[in-house]
Amino acid sequence: MAAIDTALAARVSAEAGTNAYKCYQCKKCTTGCPVAGFAEQHPAQIIRLVQLGDLDTVLDGDFIWLCTGCETCTTRCPQGIDIAAVMDEMRIIARQTKRVRKDAPFANILDLNLKSMKRWGRLYEVELLMLDKLTRPSSLMDDVGMGIKMFAKGKINPLPTVGDRTQMKRMLAEIEKIKGERS
Amino acid sequence: MKQLAYYPGCSLHGTAPELDSSFRASAAALDVELTEIPGWECCGNTAAHSADRLLAAALPVNELTKVKTDMRLDAVAVPCAACFSRFMAGAHEMQDEGMRADVERVVGRAYPGGVTVRNLIDVYYDEVGLDELTTRVTRPFVGLKVAAYYGCLLTRPPEVTLADDPEYPTHMEALVKALGAVPVEWSYKTDCCGASLALCEQDVVIELVRKILTNAKACGAEAVVCACPLCQVNLDTRQAGIKTKDAAWQEIPILYLSQIVGRAIGVPESKLGLKKHMVDVAGVMA
Repeated sequence: MAAIDTALAARVSAEAGTNAYKCYQCKKCTTGCPVAGFAEQHPAQIIRLVQLGDLDTVLDGDFIWLCTGCETCTTRCPQGIDIAAVMDEMRIIARQTKRVRKDAPFANILDLNLKSMKRWGRLYEVELLMLDKLTRPSSLMDDVGMGIKMFAKGKINPLPTVGDRTQMKRMLAEIEKIKGERS
Repeated sequence: MKQLAYYPGCSLHGTAPELDSSFRASAAALDVELTEIPGWECCGNTAAHSADRLLAAALPVNELTKVKTDMRLDAVAVPCAACFSRFMAGAHEMQDEGMRADVERVVGRAYPGGVTVRNLIDVYYDEVGLDELTTRVTRPFVGLKVAAYYGCLLTRPPEVTLADDPEYPTHMEALVKALGAVPVEWSYKTDCCGASLALCEQDVVIELVRKILTNAKACGAEAVVCACPLCQVNLDTRQAGIKTKDAAWQEIPILYLSQIVGRAIGVPESKLGLKKHMVDVAGVMA
């Protein structure tokens, strides 16, 4: 039996700026979701679990790490719930509570993406691809042939370009400061 | 001469160099002067909005502030659909007073507002205009049947993107027609290609791409035109994966809108990057 967190929907409302309680399970979100057929859950179930306060089932499932953020659910919801923002909030909670599913490769990619952005001021795509292979050995042989072809065709620029790293660092530090003041 | 700030974004410096060069060359030929935002930083993409809402808003607002306050320009061209979406989302978040105060503190200065964000389609449709574009066409595509593919983030959610028809947009079709090609009616123009899942969930992306392209072909398209670097890479590169599962798969070329605009108005081929595609485009671009 999963633990029930009665404050979950209120937290999602406050943080994601949308009210999950408005959902009446019409499942329009699920019908339009491109990845519902590949995942253990579908968007309407995630919203129901948020209403029920069953965070464990959300975080134990794989849906939030398969969601592409395509915003079809948000666009079509007749109740105006920003469902994609709820998925964002679930990913944020998973990271904050260190409960990211171990077999969620997308989480690793998002982490590397943030690190790359902090390092260069921009996302250095080639670095992201390489580091993902090194930190997630099961991916080592994926798309190697295609990568070589793309490189040979000049489709991939192998070198990074650099943004205003001073401002990037300043902004990240200020966000940490704000979080510190409010915790 | 129209003056626009230019935000290429990370993909145009990484895996979409042909979008960067064809966009720059076609804009110049159409009298749109692009000035790159000095020291631009990453828009944050999915990584930022999956980690921190304040960071996700601050990154694009930092760029919008540079455009207005430092560059003194009123519009910015953002050809990457994902970056465009983050820019629009950042501006949208500024309507919330609490968020606005936090973002201004993070950015380090006041957000002036008043910057129009133009995606790849908007630059040709709104800044150049259909009439002007039509008069510039010197090498029309005669009868080429094209499926205009928008993907997700150019139109969704409409409160953020301000798209007039998020389910069945038609601006790209109007542009395609102005170039002499024939846009097809089809059902998958705003379906998701799988986006960055391509890096880790290849089977999901192959299936999504297969569905999109099967529909495009069934509706008579000889090529797909898109306006997002992630869409182009997925639709182009994942056809090899479809072929390993279905040997009878007939490949379909995946072009950028900026490449067909460029070709039709006489931009030199060296600027269009036509050899960078996995599925050969020479036949439809000849």
